[in-house]
Amino acid sequence: MNPNLIALIVVIPLATGVLCALARRSTPLCRFIGLTALLANLGLVLAMLGSLGAGQPMFVSMMGKWAPPFGIAIVFDGLSGTLLAIALTVAVAAYIHSWNLLPRHIEHGWFHPLFHMLILGVNFSFLTGDLFNLFVAFEIMLMASYALMCLGGTRQQMSQAFKYVLLNLVGSTVFVLTAGMIYGVTGTLNYADLARFVAENEGALPTGFQALAVALLFVFCLKAAVFPLWFWLPDTYHTLPSSIGAVFAALLSKVGVYAVLRMYPMAFANPGVDDLELVRTILAILAGVTMVLAILGAVGATNLRRVVAMILIAHVGYLIFGVTMMNAESFAATLHYMAQEMIIIAGLMLCIGLIEQRAGSVDLRELGGLARRYPLLSTMFFLLAMGLVGIPPLSGFYGKAVLLREGASSGAWWLVGATTFTAVLTLVAIARVWITAFWSELKGPLLDLPEGAKAGPDMPLPLAYAGIGLLVGVSLILGFGAERSYSWTQQATASLATPSIYIDGVLDLNPIRDLPDNSTLALIEPDLQHTVTP
Amino acid sequence: MTLLLGICVAVIFAVSVYLMLSRELKSVAMGVFLFSHAAHLGILAMSGQPVLPGGVVKGAPVLGTSPNGIHVDPLPQALILTSIVISFAIMAFLLTLLVTTFRTTRTLNVDRLSEEDRPESMSHSVSREVTA
Repeated sequence: MNPNLIALIVVIPLATGVLCALARRSTPLCRFIGLTALLANLGLVLAMLGSLGAGQPMFVSMMGKWAPPFGIAIVFDGLSGTLLAIALTVAVAAYIHSWNLLPRHIEHGWFHPLFHMLILGVNFSFLTGDLFNLFVAFEIMLMASYALMCLGGTRQQMSQAFKYVLLNLVGSTVFVLTAGMIYGVTGTLNYADLARFVAENEGALPTGFQALAVALLFVFCLKAAVFPLWFWLPDTYHTLPSSIGAVFAALLSKVGVYAVLRMYPMAFANPGVDDLELVRTILAILAGVTMVLAILGAVGATNLRRVVAMILIAHVGYLIFGVTMMNAESFAATLHYMAQEMIIIAGLMLCIGLIEQRAGSVDLRELGGLARRYPLLSTMFFLLAMGLVGIPPLSGFYGKAVLLREGASSGAWWLVGATTFTAVLTLVAIARVWITAFWSELKGPLLDLPEGAKAGPDMPLPLAYAGIGLLVGVSLILGFGAERSYSWTQQATASLATPSIYIDGVLDLNPIRDLPDNSTLALIEPDLQHTVTP
Repeated sequence: MTLLLGICVAVIFAVSVYLMLSRELKSVAMGVFLFSHAAHLGILAMSGQPVLPGGVVKGAPVLGTSPNGIHVDPLPQALILTSIVISFAIMAFLLTLLVTTFRTTRTLNVDRLSEEDRPESMSHSVSREVTA
């Protein structure tokens, strides 16, 4: 497969965004273009994933044939490919869901173009192999998300949007400053070249490199909503329409986790480099504190959206915990857990949108008895929630079990304790939601009509159910097919435990690196764009 | 020159943080704009020629090493340029957001905005404003 096809993964959403902007007067046309593009993109990602294998760990495309580390590498490997596939699945589900549940006045605005621009930013962040390019991808993603947050323009949205925009602007500015400084001390921004630099200069890292690693961690933790930078997430997510909220919850925070997973084991917290011990310790502390505090918040919250948002944050702690252990098994488990969690969190947010539409509220104090009235919705909610808790045949179990096993064997006992505590409290939080909202008396602003009054038939919402059903299906496949999906994630994360696979994969395209005098352009080989074969 | 730039960066950062801590959203927005300027100047102060561990001076990309320091590394300037363009767009968005916020809420004061979010805590924040 031609590695330059990777560019299409970014170009398709861009073109779709522009087309939807042109066609925004016609909602059906926008929907048609949008869904076709998302499915085409998903198909392309799956086809590329299928042609990755032991003989070909990654596709690398150098834009404009500039050799790395000068040019910008776009890298499609198992890790980014898996996350792209999951992200696009979530996007498809949320998109279909939005056709039924997104208020018309929002959809008629700029929803369609902005949605595809958001996907563009997310895809680009997963694909890029360059730190500054990652900043640009983040900005595209954030710009679209700022605008999506303001669609509708209610008072509450406006004040929350300002908070969200400001925090992310500070984060972006710190990111650009840190990227510039990293360039200043290492002379490169390419991930693979940075990893090579760190490994080669063990014991002699430039002054302040640790500080830069921590500053960059600040940026990613802000995106991923890790303690203490999480406070914006629950507030903003509950002002969003559920279809948009699902995409935000599943994709935006996970992009931050992906950046940590990609760069920290390889470069900024390389386990082979003693100087970076501090960064690893900080990661471990953040993971533990995030999961424990966030899950306590989830148990205490009464708003259903806030419960899911806090559980999401707690589980980001799990993922960071997986990164800190720095071995092949823990990376595989982290990716497996992350993939299924993206699906489940998005599914739960979509379910909550449906509950809000049916019952008129998402406050646990005002809800009750949904299970009897809406058996299908309740079953889907239950399957997703139990997957999140990690009841054995469902998807959350496998990753969690491996994380605990690896934690125990690496001796991180307090983190294992925190993880177990979080798992138990996740069950408590979910059980509380289930008992109050789905069991007990039928209750809800639109449901408990006075005695004698007959409730009108509900509007059928097949597309909203289809969107959630898609996510439930994928989560069940990941759970019941855990043996295969786990061995896939093992293969996909091999380059994290053995960075040389990634480094050689990207840098071997560069024929001028090994030459003694690299001062002429003429030495660059004409064909730099070939696939990597070991 | 680097020292001068460094002092400039520090002063601009200080001013922008002061502005961002204000209660008026207008000042907060100005603080954010200054913040990005400080970051750009910071990158400029860092640029020149990266000195790698072992005292190796890395020259401009593509041209290769330039030990005499004839060529300044153009990459940090390219980074700044990209970042300036992005911050233009964000500045435009933030100002639009300010205008829209003012139209919907009739206020740009952080305290009043958060009051409207949580009606139950209104009395509390009003009393805080009075004491402030």
